[in-house]
Amino acid sequence: MSKGNYIVITNNPLVFEKLKDGHEVIYREISYEEILKDVRDRIHDGHRLLTHPLSGSVKPNETPYKSILITKGKEKMDDWSVQIIESAIQACRKFEFKSDKYGAGVYKDFQMIDWTLLESGLASADLW
Amino acid sequence: MRLEMGHIYIKDIQFGPESKIEDGVLYVSEEAVKAVALEEEKIKSVSLDIARPGESVRITPVKDVIEPRVKVEGRGGIFPGVISKTDTVGEGKTYALKGMAVVTAGKIVGFQEGIIDMTGPGAEYTPFSKTQNLVMVCEPEEGIEPHDYEKAVRLAGFRVAVYIGELARDLTPDETKVYETCTIKEGIEKYPDLPRVAYVQMLQSQGLLHDTYVYGVDAKRIVPTILSPTEIMDGAIVSGNCVSACDKNPTYVHLNNPVVHDLFEQHGKTLNFVCQIITNENVYLADKLRSSDWTAKLCKMLDLDGVIVSQEGFGNPDTDLILNCKKIEAEGVKTVIITDEYAGRDGKSQSLADADPAADAVITGGNANQVIILPKLDKVIGTLDYVTKIAGASEETLREDGSLEVELQVITGATNETGFNKLSAR
Amino acid sequence: MAKIKVVHYINQFFAQIGGEEKADYPAEIRVGEVVGPGMALTASFKDDAEIIATIVCGDSYFNENLEKAKADILAMVKEQAPDVFIAGPAFNAGRYGVACATISAAVQEELGIPALTGMYVENPGADMFKNQVYMIATKNNAAGMRDAVSKMAPLALKLAKGEPIGASAEEGYMPNGIRVNFFEKERGSQRAVKMLLKKLNDKPFVTEYPMPDFDRVDPNPAVKDLAHAKIALVTSGGIVPKGNPDHIESSSASHYGEYDITGVYDLTEETYETAHGGYDPVYANKDSDRVLPVDVLRDLEKEGVIGELHNKFYTTTGNGTSVANSKAFAAEFSQKLLAAGVDAVILTST
Repeated sequence: MSKGNYIVITNNPLVFEKLKDGHEVIYREISYEEILKDVRDRIHDGHRLLTHPLSGSVKPNETPYKSILITKGKEKMDDWSVQIIESAIQACRKFEFKSDKYGAGVYKDFQMIDWTLLESGLASADLW
Repeated sequence: MRLEMGHIYIKDIQFGPESKIEDGVLYVSEEAVKAVALEEEKIKSVSLDIARPGESVRITPVKDVIEPRVKVEGRGGIFPGVISKTDTVGEGKTYALKGMAVVTAGKIVGFQEGIIDMTGPGAEYTPFSKTQNLVMVCEPEEGIEPHDYEKAVRLAGFRVAVYIGELARDLTPDETKVYETCTIKEGIEKYPDLPRVAYVQMLQSQGLLHDTYVYGVDAKRIVPTILSPTEIMDGAIVSGNCVSACDKNPTYVHLNNPVVHDLFEQHGKTLNFVCQIITNENVYLADKLRSSDWTAKLCKMLDLDGVIVSQEGFGNPDTDLILNCKKIEAEGVKTVIITDEYAGRDGKSQSLADADPAADAVITGGNANQVIILPKLDKVIGTLDYVTKIAGASEETLREDGSLEVELQVITGATNETGFNKLSAR
Repeated sequence: MAKIKVVHYINQFFAQIGGEEKADYPAEIRVGEVVGPGMALTASFKDDAEIIATIVCGDSYFNENLEKAKADILAMVKEQAPDVFIAGPAFNAGRYGVACATISAAVQEELGIPALTGMYVENPGADMFKNQVYMIATKNNAAGMRDAVSKMAPLALKLAKGEPIGASAEEGYMPNGIRVNFFEKERGSQRAVKMLLKKLNDKPFVTEYPMPDFDRVDPNPAVKDLAHAKIALVTSGGIVPKGNPDHIESSSASHYGEYDITGVYDLTEETYETAHGGYDPVYANKDSDRVLPVDVLRDLEKEGVIGELHNKFYTTTGNGTSVANSKAFAAEFSQKLLAAGVDAVILTST
């Protein structure tokens, strides 16, 4: 899948910084859960999920950052994408919210982990 | 393949001028072990400590736990493609130092996790409160990137484990167990009436700090393949996974994979243990579809009757677990899956992020969100600075009396998804 | 330590008053008496607890005079102020099970006294209340009394003492939607191997984590001849004639409405509105066609795309309405739709 065929949805400034030149990135300063909901809305609009929204073992509400790949083109709404994103949104609520309770340095690490998770998805996307 | 496993029981670890094993006691030369660890250039310093079962000791943040082993006969060496040269392992003779472990600790990222308590309520939940632990706390060179640090600590741990394993090379094992699998044709001839069973192991493979290596190959780059189940006993699979302490598989669990061992117990009696199938848990959805297609295909090509599927991690892998289960069942192969649960602190939430009616036989390692109070212990190996930042904990975790209020998530191995523990939930 | 005080509830049958012919027996309390299954419970309690009173009530009486029976029994229990309330076990007796479950849940909720009951898993009382009150899973007839009591008595003591309650598999209660950790005797991998062997040999096994209920309905085949089909509209979006004449609740609806739309071509702000309390009603109130698309279907009717729009629509609010109620509504109005010769239904939700 060439770079022209997918979109990155993210609230991670590091991802935005790394990809803004040469990739289509939608960067929004919103919460983890709001990113999932943003992606959900786009799925209903016909975009398809390319990476799993619960990528990474760092839990929702623990890390504040989330980056997701979706198709740029729109097709008929993809049921599997809907099912995955809905389950992910539900899963968010199981975890105590503590994204705002860390020391400043930790956020850099969260950004870096989110970036590397996305990067492993990009590596697969770019093979197609 | 036939592998003879010699068990040498270690009942104590002590520091001494010379590294050796005598009468079940491991004597460790601090200097020699540090020199081995410092072969990793990115590590600036290593401090060693010993934690024994029952002691008032907390180890954190734990990265990996490794059982020392040595290859005494047969091809290859321990940790092929990582420490030893690449060669097919899993046959001949291997010795393992039972009852002990090398534990690596170090703050790789700011939210680094993993607690091993050697006593108290936390000790009930981690399997590594029952082992004599040689703990290496590794400090990195200045300015090092987390992924370089992770790799350095990972490899330093393996080097030290191999160094200690070598001390057992000329010893006589206290106990010997033989594990033998047949080739496909032999198996059919030898056990014509027994169900053909395999173990499908899903390996964490999402990216940095979430990786697993097979003969040194990053598991996210593999397509599902088959192993002789004896290969893992020589370290064919190692952990590069630092996140989600409760349900990641430390290298110790790979070496002692309980599904492999319990299937061997029944091999030739109630079932024919054909092989181990490994697959991955990538973040890219098309990779998931491909990998689950392949596991199902392999199950079919091997004429299997049943499989046990184990998972590693939370969320993203739930999707792989359900895909594998669904597709394997669709091939007419019966499945049992092993997972753990995130049912919320009150136990009322949906435990998994995916579900399917085909998953009608599930073993659970328990609810990782369960809250537990860990009392203050006398000694901390590593640092508590980061305990407040680990998964399932928060800045408010440290209570006034020095106790910690955390979720089981933070305890190394607590809800392991290979069925390593007795913890469960209903 | 003082003995734990127990009040026990049983029906007319277990009180040996009589069978069906005595089922209208009104609620009574026998203070200081231990009756029927109470004997077995008492034996099981040893010296830890005693039944201080037994309440007897006919099954028909309870179910037909629900509010009065409930209030009377609650008053009786309140006066005795027990440490724990036990009802049944009811085994597979349907009305007895519903009574045991209802009164146990009421005692617990309204009096704050811990309560438990026991019954067969298929007893209708089980489904209604198993998530509200601890319910021991029993056999389907009274031959299972000893087994039921052996689980009910220890759980009752734990509840009375406020001790932590273990997992359903340990205590014997029906899974109640709350996952509880506990230590098994064997490690997970051994349990997995055993479960697989059972599955391979077609022997019964019990999963440790039942998948969520998949109440999926296979869609009907497509309508072949839309141009001659009679189409009806049904909604859980709460669209009702202005003023909500049948008072459909804004949430947890207890009934549905049936409204005639003969000659109605457009739902306007003046004529229709939503009764639904679960979403912002502004847009639905402004133009109810947004939820119940009468206008579009009239167009399609005119264009000949569909045969005709059925002259009645069915509506309720899906907001917190129980699955049981929803199923009952649909079972009823589906018959009316069939009788009216409707070929297909467009079901809208919000």
